Amino acid sequence: MAEVKTQEFQRASVKALADAKLQSLLGRSMGTFDGARQEAIEELTPQRWEEMREKGRAIKRHTLDNLDYYLELLYDRVTQNGGQVHFARDAQEARNIVGQIARSRGLKLAIKSKSMVSEEMSLNPYLEEMGVEPVETDLGEYIIQLAQETPFHIIAPAMHKTKEDVSQLFEEKIQRPNLKNIEEMAGAAREVLREKLVNADMGITGANFLVAETGTLVLVTNEGNGRFCTSVPRVLVSITGMEKLIPSLEDLGVFMRLLPRAATGQRITSYVTHVSGPRRSDDEDGPEEFHLVIVDNGRSRLLQDPDLRESLYCIRCGACLNICPVYHKVGGHAYGWVYPGPIGAVVSPVMVGLNKAKDLPHASSLCGACRDVCPIKINIPRMLLKLRTQLAESSDSTQRKVSIGEKLMAKGYRRLMSSPKLLSLTHRLGRLAQRPLLRKGLIRTIPFPPFSRWTRSRDLPPLASKPFRQIWAEKLGKER
Amino acid sequence: MAELLGTSKESFIASVRQSLGRTGGEPDERYAPLQEDLSSLEERASNTLERLKKDRGRLVEELARVAELQGWKVCQAANSEATLDYIRELLQETKAKRVVRSDQEIFRQVPVDELLEGMGAQVQVMAREQSGDGEFDPASAELGITGVDYAIAETGTAVLLPRKGISRLVSLLPPVHLALVRPTEVLESLDDLYLLRRLEYHRNGGDMGSYMNFITGPSRTADIEQTLVIGAHGPRETHMVILAQE
Ligand code: SF4
Repeated sequence: MAEVKTQEFQRASVKALADAKLQSLLGRSMGTFDGARQEAIEELTPQRWEEMREKGRAIKRHTLDNLDYYLELLYDRVTQNGGQVHFARDAQEARNIVGQIARSRGLKLAIKSKSMVSEEMSLNPYLEEMGVEPVETDLGEYIIQLAQETPFHIIAPAMHKTKEDVSQLFEEKIQRPNLKNIEEMAGAAREVLREKLVNADMGITGANFLVAETGTLVLVTNEGNGRFCTSVPRVLVSITGMEKLIPSLEDLGVFMRLLPRAATGQRITSYVTHVSGPRRSDDEDGPEEFHLVIVDNGRSRLLQDPDLRESLYCIRCGACLNICPVYHKVGGHAYGWVYPGPIGAVVSPVMVGLNKAKDLPHASSLCGACRDVCPIKINIPRMLLKLRTQLAESSDSTQRKVSIGEKLMAKGYRRLMSSPKLLSLTHRLGRLAQRPLLRKGLIRTIPFPPFSRWTRSRDLPPLASKPFRQIWAEKLGKER
Repeated sequence: MAELLGTSKESFIASVRQSLGRTGGEPDERYAPLQEDLSSLEERASNTLERLKKDRGRLVEELARVAELQGWKVCQAANSEATLDYIRELLQETKAKRVVRSDQEIFRQVPVDELLEGMGAQVQVMAREQSGDGEFDPASAELGITGVDYAIAETGTAVLLPRKGISRLVSLLPPVHLALVRPTEVLESLDDLYLLRRLEYHRNGGDMGSYMNFITGPSRTADIEQTLVIGAHGPRETHMVILAQE
């Protein structure tokens, strides 16, 4: 499985916050994404958008609630199309399957179109070790591969790289010096990759959707690399999470309207490729073999919990990342595993183990923006709360996130808020106590724990000179 | 040839079933679309075709409008002369010397070979049963010409299906792609397309061919600093000629 660094969320986010270059990049780019999304919704009309969201959600709910049935159907239909379906319980097993296919057929050069599941599996190093050259062909993924990093964003994997970074990387890794503008860089990558694209004997892709009824895999891309991967190599291996299923071919009408708009604000992407098995005898070209690898790797834990199941409705559009105030600040790498952002904060802890990712459910202000933008209306805040509760109530102390101190505080707070007298007394005392701490109207640091840690990266507004209850009593209440 | 790699289907699905607390069998609520029988599909499809026929003029306009927005250069040809004129100009503009095309019905209607060869370009049909004088590597072609199976007005999309004589690469390898669209091939929406393909699948006893490609404008990427670059791995220039109504 991909290296898990979810334990280091706090450290990694402090580092990200201090990284001026990253902060300016995030500040510049995050708004653009969501602006495009909003325009695309306007163009479709908000009513139609709502209708599609409801439909998409209902289809996903139905499919996941009956996933065993649809997996069976998909298996039959892919087989009927002449393809082969393999099942992998975990990352290790999935890697072995891909490895065995490559080895037994003597495959040497694998062109890859973006696949998050292959990131879960750390497939590339595994293939390299066995003598197969894996080449990422999506420009963003290619940059990441050259830099030996992990994706920063679900749909814009290299968004943390400036053009200067890319220029330097291309000079060092592919001997293309002095590239000044972005067009030249894309051109250089195209040239280098074209040779791989036409000579590969293995194609590896992910999947955006799997249609059970017709055994069809759907790939949504803009660059055209997905088309190469599914057309040129003689063996095509597609690796996908088991949640990608939808029942009917006609359901695609809904998801094709949702995904491109939510992801990049496009009416549709440049390419949508539907693969229903290997080439038929009459076809001019196309893969001789088609393998579909369906991966669990922790997903059944999400499936099992009725409260978390809806996290599997996700179509990986990235909209929740683009709107999230936490992601805007800490970026994608701080989350420490394949899936960043709000949806990552739900699925990663369950997939890698909650005790290794205790901070992730807390990496949210619960503002609800993610839910509002989600094309499938996934209720991420509710699931984050559920995970927080699980952490707080766990009897296993390695899982428990809440300390005795926090519990006491919560108790005290409850007491305080249920007694008006006590509240007003505390308020008066507080106003006195804060005086020495005020700097330019804000409390910048409180020099003793546990507050010192809290104020390390935050400023605290002071208590108002008049509490609201008093303002209400004196003025507002009388104006009614 | 069924190799067993990984976990067996039975045990994988059994564990999914267990996670769901299901006992197997049909879905809990019956899912209407999958219960539909062939005659109902056929009825819906024939209604759709009726509607498309009635609206054809409007849909052609809409296709032209949306395709342009999506980055195609669109020509609505007034007659067959206009089609050939457009192709002539395209060849002059692109200075293409090597052209590949697929082997499709439409080329009997639009005689591109004579036109292009008359202008000094080599034309090669990219298919196992090759024709034309072209003895060049298709990868070096500068222009690829195809027909389409459908064009979708809603999204400005050309839809290509596999058939004998149609290579997937004609619309992918060359830097410039020209798609010839007949008005009868224009659909209104994605829903129309998926309905027709679904009918095809069931009519054929469970096969609709190995792939279906949507092409909507030029290939593009915005992976570096979210700056749009037109022309990634696929064509950087895409032209759509909508032929005149017959
Ligand atoms: S949770 Fe929703 S918004 Fe976030 S990536 Fe998934 S589908 Fe998109």
